[in-house]
Amino acid sequence: MVGAKSHKVLIFVLMALILTFFYLPILSLMVFSFNDSRSLTSWSGFSLQWYEALFKNREMMMAITTTLSIALMSTFVATILGTLAAIGVSKSKRLVKEIVLSVNNFPILNPEIVTAIGLMLLYSSLNIQKGYMTMLLAHIIFSTPYVILSVLPKLRRLDPDIAEAALDLGATPLEALWKVIVPMILPGIISGALIAFTMSFDDFVISYFVSGNGVKNISILVYTMSKRINPTINALSTILVVIITVVLLIVNLYPMLNKKKELKEAE
Amino acid sequence: MRKLIEFKNIVKSFDDSLVLKGINLSIHENEFVTLLGPSGCGKTTLLRILGGFISQNEGHVYFDDIEISNVPPYKREINTVFQRYALFPHMNVHDNIAFGLHIKKQDKQMIEQKVKKMLKLVNLQGYEDRPVTLLSGGQQQRVAIARALVNEPMVLLLDEPLGALDLKLRKEMQVELKKIQQEVGITFIYVTHDQEEALTMSDTIVVMNNGEIQQIGSPTDIYNEPENRFVADFIGESNILEGVMLEDYKVKFDDQTFECVDYGFEDNLEVDIVLRPEDIDIVPLDMGRIKGVIKSAIFKGVHFEVVVETPYREWIIHTTDKVELDKEVGLHFFPEDIHIMYKMGTY
Repeated sequence: MVGAKSHKVLIFVLMALILTFFYLPILSLMVFSFNDSRSLTSWSGFSLQWYEALFKNREMMMAITTTLSIALMSTFVATILGTLAAIGVSKSKRLVKEIVLSVNNFPILNPEIVTAIGLMLLYSSLNIQKGYMTMLLAHIIFSTPYVILSVLPKLRRLDPDIAEAALDLGATPLEALWKVIVPMILPGIISGALIAFTMSFDDFVISYFVSGNGVKNISILVYTMSKRINPTINALSTILVVIITVVLLIVNLYPMLNKKKELKEAE
Repeated sequence: MRKLIEFKNIVKSFDDSLVLKGINLSIHENEFVTLLGPSGCGKTTLLRILGGFISQNEGHVYFDDIEISNVPPYKREINTVFQRYALFPHMNVHDNIAFGLHIKKQDKQMIEQKVKKMLKLVNLQGYEDRPVTLLSGGQQQRVAIARALVNEPMVLLLDEPLGALDLKLRKEMQVELKKIQQEVGITFIYVTHDQEEALTMSDTIVVMNNGEIQQIGSPTDIYNEPENRFVADFIGESNILEGVMLEDYKVKFDDQTFECVDYGFEDNLEVDIVLRPEDIDIVPLDMGRIKGVIKSAIFKGVHFEVVVETPYREWIIHTTDKVELDKEVGLHFFPEDIHIMYKMGTY
C-alpha cells in the first residue's frame, strides 16, 4: 500500500516536472516580453515598449503580414483541394484509395527537412525565383494532406444514398455536392482548415528553404534575429503563441461543442 | 391504362456476376407494381436502373415511349423513397420536403403550400421545424415519402421502404401507402422480399429470381395460379410435389390418380403440383383420399400448422380445428385445389 502511494506521488512529481520544463520557457518568454529593460533574465518592471517597438518595426510588420496572408491563402486553397480530393478518394476503388492515402501520408510522416530540401531542389531545377509564391505553394502542398485526413472520416460515415437522394430530387451533381454533401461534412472541413492554418502559421523549416528575395515569415525572422538578443522577439513570439493556442483550442473544442449542440437538440 | 414504362431486354452484370438476364417488363399509368423476390434476385438493381443511378449493360428503358437510358437521374420525372430513407440530417422536416422544389426554384409561397399539403397527406402536420434526426423510424419514412411526392413525379420508386419498421407499424404503413397511391393517382413501383406485403398492396406483382422474371400477374393470379415451383414456394407456404399428367383432367402422384381441372398439357408429361395448406382438410380415415398420421401441430394464432406423414411425404395443412397427435387420419381436397405447373425450364 505504501508502495502504491509513493508511486502516485512519483507520478505527480514527474508530471509536474514535465509540464514545468515544457511550459516554463514559454512562460518566461511571455513574461519578459513585458519587461522594462533589455534583459531577458532579470525583471525590472512592466512595460509595453517591446510591443511598441514591434509594431514600429517595418520588417517585423512585414513578416506578420506575410505569415498571415500566406496562412489564410494556403488554408483556403488547401481546404478546397483537400475536401475535393477526399470526396474523390471516398468514391474511388479500394486500390486507388489505398495508393492515394499512402501518398497522402508521405509528407506527414516524412521529416520536414526532406520535404523542404525536396521543394527547394524542385524550384531550383525548374528555375523558379524563390519568394512569396514559392512559399505559398509549399504551404498549400504540406497542409493539404491534413485536410484530406480530417475530411475523410466524415465522408466514410455518410450514407451513400444521401447523394443519390439529392440527384433524385433534381439536384445536379454540383448542387448535390454544395447543398447536401458539404454541409454534412462541414465539421471535418472546418477542423481540417484550422489544422492547415496552424501548420502554415508556425512553419519554419520548409518556409526557410523555399523562400528568398527577402520574403520572411515570422518564424524565419525570429530565427535571423535570435543572434542579436532583443525582447521584441519575445513580444512577437508571445503573439505567435497566443494565436496558435487560440486556434488549437478551437480545433479541439469545436467537435465537443458540436456534440453538445447535437445532444441539446436531441433533448 | 396507358403504358408508361417499358424495359426491353435489360441485362446487367456487376464484375463477373450476371444480375439481370434480359428483363422485359411494361408498367402502366396509375399501377401499383411490386417487384418481389429473394435478396439478390435483381429487383433493386432494376429499380436503380429506372431511377438512373446505374446503367444497364444491354437493353433499353422507355419512359412515355422515349428512351431514357442516357438521361441523368435529376432530369427524370421519377422520385425514389430509399430503403434507409436517406433524409438530409442537417435539415428539418420542412427543408427536407422542400428540397426538390427549392432546387427547381419554385415560388416561395407555392413551396409553402405544397409542403403543407404533403405534410397533411402523410399525417405529419405540425412537424415542420423538427430536425429529422429526432423522428422515429415511421415518421422518417413519412418524410421520405412526402419529400419524393411533393415533386409530383409520374412514378414513385420505393425500395423496401418498410423493411426497418416493426410488424405493426409495417401493416399500418402498407394500408396507408396504398391509400396515398390511390389519392395521388400515380404509378408506384415497390420493391420487397415480403410476399405478404406484395399481396396486400399491389395491382400487379412481378416475381423475380436469379435475375429473371418468373411470373407477372395480379395478387390472386400469383397466389392461386403460380406458374412454377419457385413462385408457388415463394408466395406462401405450399405442398409442392412431382407427378405425371396422364391426360387432360387426370394427374397421378403418390401412386394414385386424381381428378383435376387442368388441361392442355402433353399426355404423360412430368409436372409439378401445388396444394395450398389451407385447401386440404383433415377428415376421418375412411373419408380421405390419402391416409396419413399426424406428426405435429403447431399453434400459429389463427390456425394450427399440422404436419401429416404419409409413406410418400409430409403434408403441411392449415386448420382451425384441434387435432390429436399420432392419430391416423384421411386427407381430403377437391379437384380444383390441385394446381398443375410445368416443371421449371420445360416451358
